[in-house]
Amino acid sequence: MPAPRSLRSLTLAFLLVFFLAVALTGFATYRATQRAIVELVDERIDALSDAVLSQTRPGDVAAIIGRINVITDERDTGNVGFMLTDAGGHWLGGNVRLARPLALGYSTLGRRDRITGLSAGRALVRDAGGGLTLTTIAETEPIDRENKARRRLYMLGFGSIVLIVLAGTALFGALVSRRIGEVRETARAIIDGDMQRRITVDPAGGAFAEQAATFNHMLDRIAELMRQISNVSNDIAHDMRTPLARLRGRLALIAARPDAAGLADEIGEAMDQCDALLAMFAATLRIAEVEGGDRRAGFASLDLGALVGEIGEMMTAVAAESGHELVLGRCAPVRIEGDRQLLSQALINLIENALRHTPPGATITLAVTRAETGAGAAAEIMVRDNGPGIAPGDRALALRRFGRLEPSRHNAGHGLGLPLVDAVARLHRGTLSLEDAAPGLRVTIRLPIAGG
Amino acid sequence: MNLLLVEDDDGYAATLAEELRALDHAVTVAPDGMTALQAIDREPFDAAILDRMLPHMDGTAILRRLRESGKTLPVVMLSALGRSAEKVEGLEAGADDYVVKPTPAAELEARLKALVRGRQWTSTGGGSGDTICVGDITVSPTRFRAWRGERPLDLVKLELQLLAELARNAGTVLTRAMLIERVWGYDFEPTTNIVDVQIRALRRKLMADGEDDPIVTVRGVGYMLRD
Repeated sequence: MPAPRSLRSLTLAFLLVFFLAVALTGFATYRATQRAIVELVDERIDALSDAVLSQTRPGDVAAIIGRINVITDERDTGNVGFMLTDAGGHWLGGNVRLARPLALGYSTLGRRDRITGLSAGRALVRDAGGGLTLTTIAETEPIDRENKARRRLYMLGFGSIVLIVLAGTALFGALVSRRIGEVRETARAIIDGDMQRRITVDPAGGAFAEQAATFNHMLDRIAELMRQISNVSNDIAHDMRTPLARLRGRLALIAARPDAAGLADEIGEAMDQCDALLAMFAATLRIAEVEGGDRRAGFASLDLGALVGEIGEMMTAVAAESGHELVLGRCAPVRIEGDRQLLSQALINLIENALRHTPPGATITLAVTRAETGAGAAAEIMVRDNGPGIAPGDRALALRRFGRLEPSRHNAGHGLGLPLVDAVARLHRGTLSLEDAAPGLRVTIRLPIAGG
Repeated sequence: MNLLLVEDDDGYAATLAEELRALDHAVTVAPDGMTALQAIDREPFDAAILDRMLPHMDGTAILRRLRESGKTLPVVMLSALGRSAEKVEGLEAGADDYVVKPTPAAELEARLKALVRGRQWTSTGGGSGDTICVGDITVSPTRFRAWRGERPLDLVKLELQLLAELARNAGTVLTRAMLIERVWGYDFEPTTNIVDVQIRALRRKLMADGEDDPIVTVRGVGYMLRD
């Protein structure tokens, strides 16, 4: 038999072995008790038959019957019976009659022997001399239905042991799975960007506490490494921005000089390129800030429908300037916990993207709906355009940092717009998806509604 | 203005100082915190531009020392980082404004001027309560109402907030970035010209009866409401 691998099959195997052991023990105990009773009863009927035969001469029918009567009068006869038969098996006297002949020695009696008041018993058949046989009978069940009661007692006793073990196993299982669950929750929180999350360490110690402490130690180490990396990226930002700032300043000074009048356009273009680089740094740092997850601390309840409505209204005039039409679809009032600034930025980014990548005359539609999914309620922000769209194969690239689809330099944008929106969606534990709007592109931000 | 620039990068400090001097300001450059504090003790500056990341003593520490010693001059903090948490930290340390490097000299000048003007500004301006009067323009932000002369203006919320901000700072140029921060309340800058579009809409409503244009466009910098 292969060794069980999973915790569940291990538990099942353990329970099976345990049940077998309990059943065997119960059966053995029952049998031992039964045998002890039989032995006691056998001794008793032996003594009783002695009491009859030792006082009488062998073969003396009258004396034996007289003796039987004396003894049965003396005792409580409820559970003792005598029967004297001749060589032909004919009943000569006593207080019971047996329907079947018994062999010499001990036999077991049951219900089928039809003796009034006896459901189980033992019989001793002895030679009383002169062809006579004396049968002595005693009940092995002195109280009615005792056997049944005993069986019930065993069931109760062993049953409660089984129940206790079952409950214990369940409790143990729950404890283990709670610890494992806590580790899983912590890992999830870390994946979501909450590097501060740790597992509680049981002060009483134990294997779980040790494991938790080691796990926490590992997280501390990872957090430290990430902090170092973030310091490096901050340093890069600082070290690259300052010289860029210097370069931009120098260009501005040159542009202001009277002898640079003829170069104004070229200097302006160089400054624009500086600005584009700086915007790229700003976007990179912004994504890093969002991914850090610290901004979750500032989440507040807000009406997503109202927010999208406000921004849509504001962007309508902007869209009109470039010959686009911005249509505000139904913005259902949906309350979520979120960061107003980042959600605004994400939405403005999406609208700006649509304006940039669709020809004048294109229509951009905004809507907010509340969707009930299998995983609970979610708020959905949809930005749809009827422009050229993105080919299915290119959608993954569009979400990647610096993953610009059009190599054209004049098509402004640094390829960090959608990655930022994606980071904002993930900060809110939501998703960003790009779909074919046939024609055009439909971008959906799906944000879970806490407790909804 | 007489300005103190605290910046450890020589090249950037020299360029920025030169740009500011070209805009007719006196600029003293200090490369670190100690030099900066000594300079402030020695000379009354109108405002200071303080780099956030400096060797030995960082920008917020200098700022705390400055505020503890009772110096109230306006301080604009300059940072290569653009995180909102750091901005909040800078403002809490006592900075009056916080900008991300490299801010064009004109933007920096506009912010400094607004701050210096703000310090001199006494609440003797026209209007009562929350009502602001500039020329023939009256804005009441809490009542969501505005008038040009006797004519009530039909403004949407954003236009009203924009007009109120311009009116509060009448005579001072507000840059696009400043308006984005103060009117929209955003901690990021959209790439589209949402400010210009909103200004155009506001202008149309202000000039609907053929009145003159009360908003001055300062090319490459921002907008100002005539006072």
